[in-house]
Amino acid sequence: MLDGAVHALMAQTPFGGSRASGAEPQVGGVVGWLLSKQSEFYREMSATIRAAKSDGHAVWTLLGISFAYGIFHAAGPGHGKAVISSYLVANQETARRGVVLSFASALLQSLVAVVMVGVCAWLLNATARTMCGAERTIEIVSYALIAAFGARLVWTKGGGFMRALQVQRPALARAAAASHDHAGHGHHHHHHEHAPAHAEVAHLAHDHDEHCGHSHGPVPRELAGPGGWRRGFGAIFAVGLRPCSGAILVLVFALAQGLFWAGVAATFVMGLGTAITVAAIAVIAVSAKDLARRLSGTKEGGGALFMRGVEFGAAGLVLLFGVGLLFGYLAAERVTCF
Amino acid sequence: MGKAIRRVLGLLLSAGALALGAGVAEAHPHVWITASSELIYVPDGSISGVRHAWTFDDMFSTYALQGIETKTQGVYSREELGPLAQTNVESLKEFGFFTFARADGKKEKFQEPVDYFLEVKDGLLILHFTLPLKTPVKPKELALEVFDPSFFVDFKFADKDPVRLVGAPATCQVNFQRPNDGTVNAQALGEQTFTNGDNSNFGAMFANKITVTCP
Repeated sequence: MLDGAVHALMAQTPFGGSRASGAEPQVGGVVGWLLSKQSEFYREMSATIRAAKSDGHAVWTLLGISFAYGIFHAAGPGHGKAVISSYLVANQETARRGVVLSFASALLQSLVAVVMVGVCAWLLNATARTMCGAERTIEIVSYALIAAFGARLVWTKGGGFMRALQVQRPALARAAAASHDHAGHGHHHHHHEHAPAHAEVAHLAHDHDEHCGHSHGPVPRELAGPGGWRRGFGAIFAVGLRPCSGAILVLVFALAQGLFWAGVAATFVMGLGTAITVAAIAVIAVSAKDLARRLSGTKEGGGALFMRGVEFGAAGLVLLFGVGLLFGYLAAERVTCF
Repeated sequence: MGKAIRRVLGLLLSAGALALGAGVAEAHPHVWITASSELIYVPDGSISGVRHAWTFDDMFSTYALQGIETKTQGVYSREELGPLAQTNVESLKEFGFFTFARADGKKEKFQEPVDYFLEVKDGLLILHFTLPLKTPVKPKELALEVFDPSFFVDFKFADKDPVRLVGAPATCQVNFQRPNDGTVNAQALGEQTFTNGDNSNFGAMFANKITVTCP
């Protein structure tokens, strides 16, 4: 059960110095606050579901709590939003696409939880152990998919990056040569003379960008087409496949109270809250990249190379997440199996 | 290049930190356990092991009992819960039973659990099990901590009789220290812990510390 969770990157002894060496209270307060809020909301759920048995109004409270829980739950850095954001950055996606991806994957995640509990617990009356086994299998598949997805991104983005490098190198060499030639001419003059070299670099890179746009790195316009959506579907599927342990617990509890529908409603509202937060983070990621593109594109030469590098890095992150989660180096929420 | 590169590198680094921090922040508790523990002494005054009784929270109790066949609906016998208890202790092994002991500063190991069983009381599932020490010890000071390093399980000791000594020499004194208020501790979770990607010991700040001193 609960497998790799403890195999954290830098495992320490159970009595390790982490506490003694002191986590200094700084920005971490936000994380702490998020944590305590989530558990607060989560803990209120069981009592509210119980109350809903006799008092219909409690269902509204339940939905409110679930929504808040979803928002807070997703605000902590988790693999879902990390993968989605990295994917968006790697793939020149639009913010709008990011929002759609976030909602779709959260919806899928809720759906998987409901179907799983509906089929396993309700129809088959399976034990928690069986359900947990199913959950873990789904989890492994989901992580493997993220890794595969990341590998594919790295492959394509790596190609783009290498090509950008190749285009860049001769231009840079020329730029360096130019700078050498004019080295003795004083700073101001040097700077001035240098400008054409920069322009050349930018021009080359721009050409390259256009070329790439058609064969390797799709522009946002293209992604909005049918092929683009299919690609996005991969991300939705990989991330949304794995249900949230919290949702499973809530659903089973609601089922036992004879209020399965309330659990289902809570799960979808939770998903809605999660989607809002993930979408916000995705939009920030996309905007950050746009900002980076503008900065590197206007001020400096080699902007395209740089952006290919960023995309390559983001693709690498997706792969890293997948592999890390798969082998338990990155502990996401553990699946409850005891 | 300098400025833009640095700015974007900063962005990338924060993304990486976010990635590594993933485990930390997602690890909010999903299971709440109210524990009470007994330290078992043998006649010569050595400690032979720890006997736990862990009461699971409402939601998790219901989840764990899902699908378990019983003769009478809603009434669970020890036998009917036997397989689940077996699963529990087998699974807990991977986590060192969330129980960490030191005798005069030296880390002690536990054997496989014995006398384990489950019962349901007022709808809540209670797991009983005894962890014998590999070898009984007779330290001046025994420190016992019960916590989940990854904070998936939140341990709280019972208000009444959180810790008891069974058969201990009369001179032994037990001191029980609860974790400070959870929120305060959570807020002490610094940037450092966060960016380390090290969530292995995250729950340590929520540890319940038991100290027994026998002069």
